[in-house]
Amino acid sequence: MSTGAASPQQPTVALQHRLNVDSMSSEQLAKFRAAMASAMSISDERGYNYQAGIHGLPLPISCDVAHGHPVFLPWHRAYLYFFELTLRDLQPDVMLPWWDWTTDSAIPGAYNEATVDGKPNPLYSAKVDPVALEQGARSGDPRAPNTVREPGAEGAPPLPTKAEVEGVLALPSFEDFTHQLEQLHNNVHVWVGGNAGHMGDIQFAAFDPIFWAHHVMIDRVWRIWQLRHPQAGVPAALLAQALAPFNMTVTQTLDTSALGYDYALQVNGTSGTSE
Amino acid sequence: MRRFTSQPIENPARPGEPDFARADLVFYGVDHSGPSFEARIFLNSPEADLTTPRDDASYAGSFTIFGHAGCAGDVGHCDVPTGPKDPFDRRPPHALTPQIKTVIVTEALRAIPTDQLTITVVPVRPGAKGAEVVDALKFDRFSLLTYA
Repeated sequence: MSTGAASPQQPTVALQHRLNVDSMSSEQLAKFRAAMASAMSISDERGYNYQAGIHGLPLPISCDVAHGHPVFLPWHRAYLYFFELTLRDLQPDVMLPWWDWTTDSAIPGAYNEATVDGKPNPLYSAKVDPVALEQGARSGDPRAPNTVREPGAEGAPPLPTKAEVEGVLALPSFEDFTHQLEQLHNNVHVWVGGNAGHMGDIQFAAFDPIFWAHHVMIDRVWRIWQLRHPQAGVPAALLAQALAPFNMTVTQTLDTSALGYDYALQVNGTSGTSE
Repeated sequence: MRRFTSQPIENPARPGEPDFARADLVFYGVDHSGPSFEARIFLNSPEADLTTPRDDASYAGSFTIFGHAGCAGDVGHCDVPTGPKDPFDRRPPHALTPQIKTVIVTEALRAIPTDQLTITVVPVRPGAKGAEVVDALKFDRFSLLTYA
């Protein structure tokens, strides 16, 4: 995988690596929780509610241009990128982790504890924007004021398996790949949300903190597909498409190293200073 | 609708037909304005319902609707425009433009080499009291496509 991005202003820039949430050190997890908690305490456009609301309610529902459409992956890559930058304004170097639902058959522990060290765990639940709640109720979709989950409720589709992900990764055409990956993505939303949970509902899904870990996993699968199919790509007709409300086109999402990140199973190392 | 069973169609997996490398069941004009649900697909099993397990021989796969769950806008907000679009209209498609869902059914189809085939779709979602069939399945048509 890439190790650095070159630009005229910054010839060598170290990439940041997104990690599996189960592989994060306690220090990394604490920083991530601190960033999320800080974002949740901010009520303006730097805050969690604003960022989560971009996906669904309050109106407009911006992700509507992305679901069931070939820009599903680029749009969500841009969404994650800008949200991650928002967090890094609050906690430098923090990165969004991924939830590998092919190996975890349950909500990851980091997201499943109501409290940590006696304080509310910001990865467990989040307050939902009251305007979103009011609009949802008007649409006949009343939801709890704090996000809840009903993982694995009876009647939900199962979580994707490794074999299913490998099957999707083997698809050589981007259109086929994104369509089938989006199906696996939909299954995870409904598996987490169940009946009353926010994740199972487009209008509220992004308010649940686990939304981001789920979508980082989806973005990671796309990154792996890009590496396995270097000659394949997004159809040319889509490349110049803008990904509203983000000031980014599809082309600008294709190279994760140009966005300053990549995926790693582990990052080990130490200071280069010797005694 | 709460459940769909097709009229019998010719089965491309029947004896004497050319082999195929892949088979897709494609649903066109799928509505996603309502609740989220999983559409479970069964072959030659018109009696399939909520209780039919995924390991039943007739189970072919599923697609999941990540639903819009209603309309939060004012009157007309969720009405999908019909008719030709102005060629200078650069706006993206309406949010609730019906979708296409493709389910790869290659192995399931090969396992049922009957002359005729029916497709049954059961829309299931987690309800307040457990799994329930939901009245949210709407689509225009389907095609069974095979590829060499």
